[in-house]
Amino acid sequence: MEGNTRAILVDITKCIGCRSCEQACKQIHGFPMDSEKKLSPTALTIVEEHGDRFVRRMCMHCQDPACASACLVGALKKTDAGPVTYDAAKCIGCRYCLVACPFSVPRYEWTKLVPYVKKCDMCAARQAKGQPPACVEACPVQASISGNREEILEEALRRILASDSKYVKHIYGSEEAGGTSVFFISDVPFEKLGFVAAPKQPMPVLTATALGDGPTVILVGGSLLAGLYWITQRRALVALAEAQEKSLKERN
Amino acid sequence: MAAIGFPKISFWRTVVAVIFAAGIYSMYARFALGFQASTNLTDPQPWGLWVGLGTLCGVGLSAGGFAIAAAVYLLGLERYRPILRTAVLISFLGYCTVCVGMLYELGLPWRIWHPIVMWNRHSVLFEVSWCVMLYTTVLALEFSPALLEKLPWVRVRELYLRWHHSILIALVLAGTLLSSMHQSFLGGLFLITKGRLYPLWYTPYLTTMFYLSAIPAGLAVTIMAIYLCVRSLNARVDMSILRDVSRVIAPLLAIYGVFRVVDLINRDALQYLWMWREETLLFWVEIALLVVVPLVLLNMEKVRNNPMYLYWTCAVIVAGFMTNRLNVSITALQASSAVYYVPKWTEFAASFATIAAAAVAFRYAVIYLDILPKNPPQQRWMVSSPAAEA
Repeated sequence: MEGNTRAILVDITKCIGCRSCEQACKQIHGFPMDSEKKLSPTALTIVEEHGDRFVRRMCMHCQDPACASACLVGALKKTDAGPVTYDAAKCIGCRYCLVACPFSVPRYEWTKLVPYVKKCDMCAARQAKGQPPACVEACPVQASISGNREEILEEALRRILASDSKYVKHIYGSEEAGGTSVFFISDVPFEKLGFVAAPKQPMPVLTATALGDGPTVILVGGSLLAGLYWITQRRALVALAEAQEKSLKERN
Repeated sequence: MAAIGFPKISFWRTVVAVIFAAGIYSMYARFALGFQASTNLTDPQPWGLWVGLGTLCGVGLSAGGFAIAAAVYLLGLERYRPILRTAVLISFLGYCTVCVGMLYELGLPWRIWHPIVMWNRHSVLFEVSWCVMLYTTVLALEFSPALLEKLPWVRVRELYLRWHHSILIALVLAGTLLSSMHQSFLGGLFLITKGRLYPLWYTPYLTTMFYLSAIPAGLAVTIMAIYLCVRSLNARVDMSILRDVSRVIAPLLAIYGVFRVVDLINRDALQYLWMWREETLLFWVEIALLVVVPLVLLNMEKVRNNPMYLYWTCAVIVAGFMTNRLNVSITALQASSAVYYVPKWTEFAASFATIAAAAVAFRYAVIYLDILPKNPPQQRWMVSSPAAEA
């Protein structure tokens, strides 16, 4: 399973800002072709300019995604193949995934009367047929490459550790939110390129402890309350019996 | 009853009518025009007033029902039985507003039933939705005798009431557990926003904080409602019960305050208390209204023994509680989302209309059902009732 997990590597030093990835993404989804500045329901990946660097933004496809743990109906899922996919037929539109995502990726169709969540699915359908994601295929300079997650990580490491390397010694995505399936390497510190300092642990861990308390609360709380009720009842019975006894004695 | 004519135009009736009119437009805007026309929500601020006020405050302020029910049935504190039905009614109506609010808040409200068949037990929201569904059912059952005892068919009535009596303790027990769980899980919703929720509010103990603050706030709402019933609906209540409830509220608030302080110290977050930021100001407003001012006021015998002072003290608690919930759900996320969210007027109107509907329903329930004992009808000049002065 782990061996077949797909991933994307974006090498920021190679990106020339041609926006072919944006265009390919819009084309495959049938969105209007105008370039957009920010992620939107009709722009699932965009290229941001930070000084003279170009940074792609898209869903990070976390290994243990916050959105998938947050979604109450399980519309968002981490697939074995790597992509985090969205089942629009299940979605009820609560938007907890937007709240939960540490990278603020999912978008909502605020303008529509029947609104859905929109986010990159790493071209899950294409990848299932053995094709690369549309954005990767469109990149003329291989700034984005895709492949097996292990091999992609090795490649990133190889580039960073090369003798003439100018790269920052960090693969963004290797530990963010417990690890993702989209990686970035750069020669400019990531915080200067608009990358968020996401927590290092898998996000669902944060809620798992609270949820894990549920059964304990029911068991311990339930017995405690039942016990209290029993005591209350018992006291009432004893008080009643004492009163009866007293009245009996008085009568004698 | 007098002949039905056109209702007199009074101040409160006008207010309610205006709120309903605005609410009807909001309903149209939300369901016929969509989110963009009816809200100021955006991708960086996907949850707004409807979650903050409608859900978080709605559920929290409805905590009085389970607290009083547990006190009377499980702890045997018979002292509070006279206000039990009122407390349960408030909770029931409160949860009704939450459920109606959900229809506004969900993007695809006709799928509100999905969580019943589509499960994700890793989701805090899943647990919350189940608890709210179950507890609303429990509240409806707990309250049902007040309605069904008015049935004219004796046999059906007796049968129902006997059945109800046999399951009552189980209901109260289940209700207490369900309430305790989802009051805290509402705080748990925000645990996943680590790194983005402002440090004055983000704590691993958000669940505990939400639970501890909900009970005193729910009790405060109960006191306020009963005071209003006595003042304007001719209800007869021993006001010393309210004083005793307030004696419970004070230590609960104190415990909550201590938890907040200890938590801030533990997390090394004291530095944020004095930063010149909007968050700091709103944090202090929250602490002042929810903890400091009520504790000072409730410490005064004059306040505890005077229903009107008590009413206003409880109003301060409720205001503080609402500030807290809105801070967690809106203020605390503003810095990281870089969006300054101010709700659209239609968001306010929709929320207020739902609350107003619940208030109207409460009023008629108290008038027509046996929720609270009533004084015999009096002449207008006699209305300052002896109970109110007691």
